[in-house]
Amino acid sequence: MKRGGLQGYIIKRLIYAALITFGVVTITFILLRVGPSSPADKYLANMSARTQDPAQVIAAVEARYGLDKPIYEQYVDYVVNLARGDWGWSFSTSLPVIKLIQRHWVYSFQLILLSMLFSASLGILIGVYSAIKQYTRTDYLATLFSFIGISIPNFWLGIMLILVFSVQLGWFKTYYDTGLPLFSLANLKALILPVITLGTGMMAGYTRYARSATLDNLRKDFVRTARAKGLPERVVIGKHVFRNAILPIITIIMFDLSGVVFGGAYLTEIIFGIPGLGRISFNAIFAGDYPVVVTITLIGALVVLFTNLATDIVYTWLDPRIRYD
Amino acid sequence: MIRQISSKVGGLKNLIFIGALLVLAIVLLLDIYLVDQILEPLEYFYLFFAIIAIFYGIYPLYANRRLTKYYWERIKRHRLSVFGLAFIVFLIAVALIGPLLTQDPTKVNFQEKSLPPVGFTIQQSVYDLKAEEFVTRETPGTWQHPLGTDDKGRDMLAMLVSGARVSLQVGLLATLIAILIGTIMGVVSAYFGGWVDMALMRFTDVMMTFPFFLLLVFIIFIFGPSLVFIILAIGLTGWTGTARLVRSDALSLRTREFIMASKSLGASDTRIVFRHLIPNVISSVIVIATLSIPGVILAEAALSFIGLGDPTVTSWGVVLNAGQRSLDTAWWVAVEPGIMLFLTVLAFNFLGDGIRDAFDPRSQL
Amino acid sequence: MSNNILEVKNLKTYFFTGRGVVKAVDDISFSLKKGENLCLVGESGCGKTATALSILRLVDSPPGRIVSGEILYHGEDLLPSSSARLRQIRGNRIAMIFQDPQSSLNPVFTVGNQIAEQIKLHLGLKHKKTIERTLHLMEQVGIPRARERMKDYPHQFSGGMRQRVMIAAALSCDPEILIADEPTTALDTTIKAQILDIFRDLKQKRNMSILFITHDLGTVAGIADRIVVMYGGRMAEAGTALDIFDHPQHPYTQGLISCLPDISTRRDRLTPIPGMIPSLINPPEGCIFNPRCERRIPICSREKPPEIVISGEHLVACHLYSQSASPEDRIESSKNAKR
Repeated sequence: MKRGGLQGYIIKRLIYAALITFGVVTITFILLRVGPSSPADKYLANMSARTQDPAQVIAAVEARYGLDKPIYEQYVDYVVNLARGDWGWSFSTSLPVIKLIQRHWVYSFQLILLSMLFSASLGILIGVYSAIKQYTRTDYLATLFSFIGISIPNFWLGIMLILVFSVQLGWFKTYYDTGLPLFSLANLKALILPVITLGTGMMAGYTRYARSATLDNLRKDFVRTARAKGLPERVVIGKHVFRNAILPIITIIMFDLSGVVFGGAYLTEIIFGIPGLGRISFNAIFAGDYPVVVTITLIGALVVLFTNLATDIVYTWLDPRIRYD
Repeated sequence: MIRQISSKVGGLKNLIFIGALLVLAIVLLLDIYLVDQILEPLEYFYLFFAIIAIFYGIYPLYANRRLTKYYWERIKRHRLSVFGLAFIVFLIAVALIGPLLTQDPTKVNFQEKSLPPVGFTIQQSVYDLKAEEFVTRETPGTWQHPLGTDDKGRDMLAMLVSGARVSLQVGLLATLIAILIGTIMGVVSAYFGGWVDMALMRFTDVMMTFPFFLLLVFIIFIFGPSLVFIILAIGLTGWTGTARLVRSDALSLRTREFIMASKSLGASDTRIVFRHLIPNVISSVIVIATLSIPGVILAEAALSFIGLGDPTVTSWGVVLNAGQRSLDTAWWVAVEPGIMLFLTVLAFNFLGDGIRDAFDPRSQL
Repeated sequence: MSNNILEVKNLKTYFFTGRGVVKAVDDISFSLKKGENLCLVGESGCGKTATALSILRLVDSPPGRIVSGEILYHGEDLLPSSSARLRQIRGNRIAMIFQDPQSSLNPVFTVGNQIAEQIKLHLGLKHKKTIERTLHLMEQVGIPRARERMKDYPHQFSGGMRQRVMIAAALSCDPEILIADEPTTALDTTIKAQILDIFRDLKQKRNMSILFITHDLGTVAGIADRIVVMYGGRMAEAGTALDIFDHPQHPYTQGLISCLPDISTRRDRLTPIPGMIPSLINPPEGCIFNPRCERRIPICSREKPPEIVISGEHLVACHLYSQSASPEDRIESSKNAKR
């Protein structure tokens, strides 16, 4: 019965995730086709300087992209292409979109990963500590700090950091140097300001969640039982409270991805000139290169979907109460 | 006769409400088909939402004066919330009156570019025609441009005031749209349950899977960066959180006795939804709304900042963009709008927190 | 006297809240001998749990605080002891189990883990020995298929089984004293009986001293050697089980006993004690029971009653039995009483 429970749950979730994927893909398609400018127009904007006969270009583009087919067929083509891995061609960079993504995803990944590690670890630490020392000055300071952290616009924070540390103090370059090897110390140094920019807002939120999750659990009866056993306080907190508090904390952190993290990363990449997917998408917007924009939006959604799924499963694994229902 | 109609509709108040909406619709139709541009599209939005806000937000406060007073007492206990509210009121005043008192924020004047704020003096490198070389000159800030100018000579104060206006407009409108959609979805979903609930919630899940900012940028990319679209886009992408929260609130209400009693008395579904569920869900909705406004304001600022904002409008994000260009020559251009954004967001966060504690029946103040 | 392994003297534990100071425990004294079962009885809110928590200093520290008194364990006062010393004693020499086993067990750790925790902490046994001991304990308290169930989580057990787990954990280091705070209150009647059997067993086979806290006199009748009746944070009456049940002296105790439904006598109605428990923030002047007492005399609302020895270990805190009550008072009070 144990095995069946967990496996069954995973299967259910996978089916559900597949449904959501369909939904996401469909909505993207609808948005694309509903917009005032057809994809042909975007391409036209690029080509208008180079061609004499716009009508001919439009016809050619439509034929090329299958836009003259009925909507239903377009949709099927679209979905099939996505599934097959044909995600379009990027006009502005003359690359298949997949190749473009392959080249640039690492930058986004390292930024997001480092920021999450930084903010989650610090945030949880501060949150738990301030919950234990509730009502002390440290607690109030931490709460105030998280308020401020949530309220500072992260793009402004980035600019301010650049102002102070790059322009005035000269400790860092103002723009990210893409020539650095990824696993080098120099690269890490160049990422310090971006990570602080992206991480501060996230950390403020995490501190709050960690604090409230810990507070909730501190009041519980099993904490008293643990103390009655003669366990030292650090074990009571570190083992008993923490193991219970970590569940909602992890859930909230992972589900926050689709809001603060991706939006913040997008902006941070633009400010610091980090050539991650956000920046690529941004460039594509101004170049009218819609396949790139569409794909990156889809990728964003898919990553969120995947992380949600993974978090759900991890949560089920961590919380024994759920498994056996 | 008025009495007859009003009793059919559920009261005089509802009559006036529907009447106001009808008037607006008529003006809109006239605008489209007969006369030229009576009101701008944006203004239709304002009026529509103003009507809704008055009937579902302000009027209930007035009708239940004792309740309002009770909540106000509780909010007052949080000094920070009161500061937040004071700042917001100040901002509203600035947005309303400011444009009358300040210069034109779009007026470009290269003679006066990059002037520092009053009280600051910077070294500027200026080309001296006579000496035919670059000379460093000390340039102090003047009261003519109390907050300085940007690299194109536009007055900072004027731009910030204009920005306040935009932020508040977008903040209120987009939030209202999002709240409206979210509340209706949540309540309908909770009330009807079954496959309606499933369908709506799956849809909400799909929308939530898109990263908010990415979707926003995508929509603006497709539809174009005009203020109306920006407001619509933010509203249409930001309702998911509200829908979830309202649904769970309404679900807990649904099984409570007074709903069942209403049903047994033969009340129709719409009636129950509108007269019973919505008013009870409103307190959560107000909290959610206040706490959503900062996100909306930041979203608009972020869009303007990266250049996807409405080019005809000066918002704080636009100024910030200019600020990034002139970090080394005119640092105040980046600092000032950021401070305004920060304070505004902080104010709404404080206020929202205070309202939430005031409405929470479990917290004892 | 030297038989007392635990002595509580003049314990006062107050809770400092926003609404005032709650005098949860207001001068309680009692002692526990080796191998005896002492029951602390009283209505909810009378301070019995607070007393028990105070012994191991488990009171929630803001807002609660042990204000004064002594808690002597083999003569050593636990109140000023260091936390290190206290941790040596907790779970090891004095163990405690709580009322609701569902919330008192950690839901994310296995039952075996939670029982073994103390063993590892205090006895430092090697892994294999720890497991053996855990299994042995589980079998002793009557948990079937112990080896399999060791890896299960608390929510997979029924209420009675969970309480057995708690008892197993408490016994794991062979403590001298077991404090049980309403261990059967949350359980069904049949399960209650089973758990009480376990307690009786403990006393007989291990000669364990048990401080048993409950509001249910029926439970008390089954296992108590001595009883302390508490009311409003103070002691009302104390004595052996026989003393209390056969010759209750305090009006409150008498009221409690007459509340018990008795199958053998025919009665149409149960007789409750009129009134409500007092506020512990603003307790009434004098004897804390006096507003509800049918036998009160004038001095009861003025002065706190002294503790009077009726016989041997039988104590009562009531003016009726002291010098201050005149014969006229006593006659008056008997008239008032409906017995």
